[in-house]
Amino acid sequence: MADLLVGPRPPRWRTIKVVVGNAGRYLFGSALRNWARNLGSTAPALGSMTLLLLLCGLGLVAGVVAQNVAATEARDASVLHLYIRDNAAPDEVDALQMRLRSDSNVARVTFVSKAEALARAQHRPGLPELADAAESNPFPASYDVLVSSVDRVGTVDSRFRHDPAVDPGVPSSYDPNAYRRFQQVLFWTAAIGGAFLLLLGFIAVTVTANSIRAAIISRGDEISIMQLVGAPLWMVRGPFVIEGAMTGAVAGTLAGLLALTVCVVAVQAGAASFAQLTPGLTISLGLTIGLLLVVVGPVLGSLSSLGSVRRYLES
Amino acid sequence: MEFVGVNRVYGQVVALDDCYFRLMPGELSFLVGPSGAGKTTLLRLINREIKPSRGEVWVDGLPAHDLPPRRLAELRRKVGVVFQDFKLLPRLTAVENVAFALQVTDLRISDDEAGDRALDALDAVGLHDRAQHYPHQLSGGQQQRVAIARAVVSQPPLLIADEPTGNLDQETAWQIMTLLEDIAKFGTTVLVATHNMEIVNRLQRRVLTLAGGRVVDDQPAGRSAKLVWLTSS
Repeated sequence: MADLLVGPRPPRWRTIKVVVGNAGRYLFGSALRNWARNLGSTAPALGSMTLLLLLCGLGLVAGVVAQNVAATEARDASVLHLYIRDNAAPDEVDALQMRLRSDSNVARVTFVSKAEALARAQHRPGLPELADAAESNPFPASYDVLVSSVDRVGTVDSRFRHDPAVDPGVPSSYDPNAYRRFQQVLFWTAAIGGAFLLLLGFIAVTVTANSIRAAIISRGDEISIMQLVGAPLWMVRGPFVIEGAMTGAVAGTLAGLLALTVCVVAVQAGAASFAQLTPGLTISLGLTIGLLLVVVGPVLGSLSSLGSVRRYLES
Repeated sequence: MEFVGVNRVYGQVVALDDCYFRLMPGELSFLVGPSGAGKTTLLRLINREIKPSRGEVWVDGLPAHDLPPRRLAELRRKVGVVFQDFKLLPRLTAVENVAFALQVTDLRISDDEAGDRALDALDAVGLHDRAQHYPHQLSGGQQQRVAIARAVVSQPPLLIADEPTGNLDQETAWQIMTLLEDIAKFGTTVLVATHNMEIVNRLQRRVLTLAGGRVVDDQPAGRSAKLVWLTSS
């Protein structure tokens, strides 16, 4: 009798199907419909979020390049070139090498003859013309001294720059402030870039939150009816969060594509030119950064929407 | 449904002051009083649109005064609400408005089941033939019937109505009140806030009179209202 009145319980799979269908329609369908309808008011949020994500992506690219440049600079800064006087006697040159090798701060010593120095110069931008213009080889022989620590380069330089075999005019390549200046430039560039990104992030989140607030206000009746009939909190908030995630997803995709395009152009430009413009940058790195932006976009969008919903949607 | 020493203040203004009363299942009661007496505040406390400043509000065993936000939906499924301005969604038909209320509270209800139950509810309020009409295609009385169908479709134990006849002519108002009486007969507790004293006097139901935020009179069913609030206002 009870079965006749109540009816048989529907199979579990059918219940799941109904729940998924209803949730999809009320959450995603509603969010999609409203997102399309409110595209005009969402446009500023979309634009600022795209800009933020693009700058984040380009910041990542710049970070990778800067890290590679810094590593190269640190490696170069550890190498001291001691230039040999043109008329130095072979005994003096050998004696210098002996003293260098016995110094505890020196990791490796390599002799570079005048001919090898000329050959190296042929591979550096601008220098081949200089070499061709001179009647004789203008490049001095040198000892390339790899110092065990970049901090000890000054000590090694002061110890050997007055050696009889060393050219008194231009004794070495040591520039005490060059590496420090480079480090300072890197630090301040990163600090200013980070502050700018934080500011832009704040603007993007605020604009997105405001666009969601506008959507909440424009659908005030629907929201109040949903709340009054007893719709659960997640169902009232959900479409707005998904709406924010959709804005973020579109912004992330746009920013990801733009960042990837910039990477491809930079890699191709570097390959076409003599100098390596963006050391460490590859197409696969560009793809990774692009995908990262595609993932970060919806997360950022949904979080800023959630903040707005929590603030403006009274429970 | 029970109010125990309920007090509600808005800044310096006391909207409700030390209210005690209890409504029994199947009871149809009226809440009367002058404008600003606290009727709407009282109804909003039941549905926990607002919280009391002091005291307790119990609805079908749930402490409405002390419910965390995540449990508000549970409370509101126990309380059907009818407004003076109907509050129907204009982009949905009558049957969709009723089905919407069903499905957003229980996702396990399929479209077919929601449609059938919504049609049954519309049939019960005499609007089966208007099911596919949009709100703007319905008269005020018909819209209020749809709102009532929406409020009772999930069979809540309590129905509250805030001036449900305020926008209707007298004849339509009577039809709506008859409908609310029928709903009460099936065991639902119905509380109607109204200014329509003709209806209150003719129906001879329990009357709670509010004045200055206090329940100044609680007149049992079967007696003529004494209109205390008129003399005190």
